[in-house]
Amino acid sequence: MTAGARPTPPTEPPPFPVFAGVLSYLIPGLGQIAQGRVGKGVMFMVILLGMFFLGQAMGNWRNVFMPPVDENQGNPIGKALVSVYNRWHFAGQFWIGIAAWPAIWQFYSPPSAAPPGDGQPGFWHDYQRAPRNAAEEREINEFLTNSDKSPDLGWVYTVVAGMLNILVIYDAIMGPAFIFLPRPEGETGEGIASGQPASAGGAAS
Amino acid sequence: MIRATLFAASIYWHLPFLVLAISLVYSATRYDQWDAIFHETFRWGLRMFGFMVAIAVVLYVVALLI
Repeated sequence: MTAGARPTPPTEPPPFPVFAGVLSYLIPGLGQIAQGRVGKGVMFMVILLGMFFLGQAMGNWRNVFMPPVDENQGNPIGKALVSVYNRWHFAGQFWIGIAAWPAIWQFYSPPSAAPPGDGQPGFWHDYQRAPRNAAEEREINEFLTNSDKSPDLGWVYTVVAGMLNILVIYDAIMGPAFIFLPRPEGETGEGIASGQPASAGGAAS
Repeated sequence: MIRATLFAASIYWHLPFLVLAISLVYSATRYDQWDAIFHETFRWGLRMFGFMVAIAVVLYVVALLI
């Protein structure tokens, strides 16, 4: 990068930050797109949702769920917190937004809900559903035991995607968290720091 | 079967893609200009690979000693 092309911090905060933050939580990158930073937004969307769904596929679509808790656990929020405490993965996966909401819906759905159609459980009926009984748990454990390490890497993908989306939400609310880049050799003077006014150029739109 | 063929080769094939994706997203939350994003992506990618290579060397040495 030449000295003339050095990045400059944005002069003003991004428009409608809170709304954009909510949008970026719901669907990664949507807030940036709404703010006019379309290129960045699309990149976030493709990479993060791609990672999340690839991770689910690697885990045979059974690695995003909230485990059931004791019915006497208390209020719904308390039950959810206990569930996440029992399976920390979802604390990271949750931040991917709508893509992880089926797990919440399944968590609060009554366990006796009948499968649709001919009585055989379909993909969407089981999507992001926790194992309901010992037999289903055994089935998942056998899958994990008889597979290579891909299913383990699968949940890592889903958690990493969710955690990265926290940064994306921050970017939608606060704008880019501008940091120093090393100054090219031979160039003197202060580096460019966050908050310094300067004209923005070549923005990722 | 197809899924197994696609993913069973080695999980280490995922490493470069994971590093690229993570450093690209991280860098894009730091800058708005594409050239700065790519520059920062390269730097973070290099750091992460360097860190993992260092860990791999340490584990290899430990494995040799034990």
